[in-house]
Amino acid sequence: MKSLNKILILVFIVAISAGEYSCKSQKKIAAEEAAAATARKIAKAKADLEMLLGDNTGLSLDEKESRLKVIKDMNIEDAEVQDLITKVEDKLSREREAQMAKERAEKLAREREEQLKKEGGPKGLNDYFNMIANSSNLATSNRYINEALGQFASEDTPVLIIISKSGNTVDYDRPTTIRRYLEYLKDQKVNRNKIENVVYDANGKITELELIKK
Amino acid sequence: MNKSNIFLSLLLIFGVAISALAQPEISPERKQAIDSLALEKVKDLGKYISIIGNKDTPFSEANRVIDRALELFADDSQMGVSSLNRTEIEYYGVREYFQRLMALNYDRVKIDWFNIQYISDLVRQPDGRYVGVITVYQRFTGETDDGMKYVDTTKKDITVYVERKQTQIQGRVIGFWDVLLGDIRVTETKPG
Repeated sequence: MKSLNKILILVFIVAISAGEYSCKSQKKIAAEEAAAATARKIAKAKADLEMLLGDNTGLSLDEKESRLKVIKDMNIEDAEVQDLITKVEDKLSREREAQMAKERAEKLAREREEQLKKEGGPKGLNDYFNMIANSSNLATSNRYINEALGQFASEDTPVLIIISKSGNTVDYDRPTTIRRYLEYLKDQKVNRNKIENVVYDANGKITELELIKK
Repeated sequence: MNKSNIFLSLLLIFGVAISALAQPEISPERKQAIDSLALEKVKDLGKYISIIGNKDTPFSEANRVIDRALELFADDSQMGVSSLNRTEIEYYGVREYFQRLMALNYDRVKIDWFNIQYISDLVRQPDGRYVGVITVYQRFTGETDDGMKYVDTTKKDITVYVERKQTQIQGRVIGFWDVLLGDIRVTETKPG
């Protein structure tokens, strides 16, 4: 009986020892696995951050910022990753500023287009003539004049004004230049003439304008 | 006057008459277009005077408009200026008139031209030019910040010359009618 007890005790000790050994082994494996996972996480983070630093991700700015946030939330304590995060933050910040500037410019352009639509959709020269003549604001008139001048080869482009046509006989007013004519519209606030003929150069710019009394 | 002088004078008069007759008469439609053009130039001048006198007009703009207004006048043209406070009418060269107008000692100036019409139709002269007279009424209002206000209405007669000229535009000869304004005489000044 005594020897049976001894055997049982021995088996128990062996079993405990074996369990302890097994537990220690599992912890080690787990630790090794954790280390490997961290290493993979760091490697993945680095790869993602480097990809974000490059300009060939095809991602939108919002997507890039979202990806960066995920990486930052991992709180990876790795100097190289932290350095990359700083660089990506700077880059995305510049991209965000550029995008906001672009959006502001687009908004302004849209607003201006809307304003122009309200004023009658001035795309043609005659629209500019009417707008300049009807403008009550000096700055606006001057802006329209400069825009209209953009359609001409030079501000000295000749402008001929027909006062009468009788058979082959054409009577003109004293010839002027386009700048002077546009300023005339601004000063007199009336558009008394309509376009009769326009001559363009190879660049699509007007080199001669012929008007006729309405 | 001896016989040769009388002969030369007659020859000169005859020559001028022949020269005038040699110029073809223009059709009533063309004449009407010239009449309208001259009237339009006078209206343009009225607007320019209003801009130059307006105290809200920036200095550079007023000077630009003075240059445009001067282009309407024949050389040495004069502008009459009257006032309810004196009987005589003073005459200035047009450039000096515009500069004085721009510098008037008021805080607000308003000038309007109205009833612009021919009192003497454009008539062809022996030298081929057309000459006429257009009358305008000008209402002038000058005010200062301290409450001083001057208002008058003057009637002005403007001599108008229209001449056929030619110029070259990009290699083409263009015939045009050049309208030039001459002296502007004050014929009446009334309060209000």
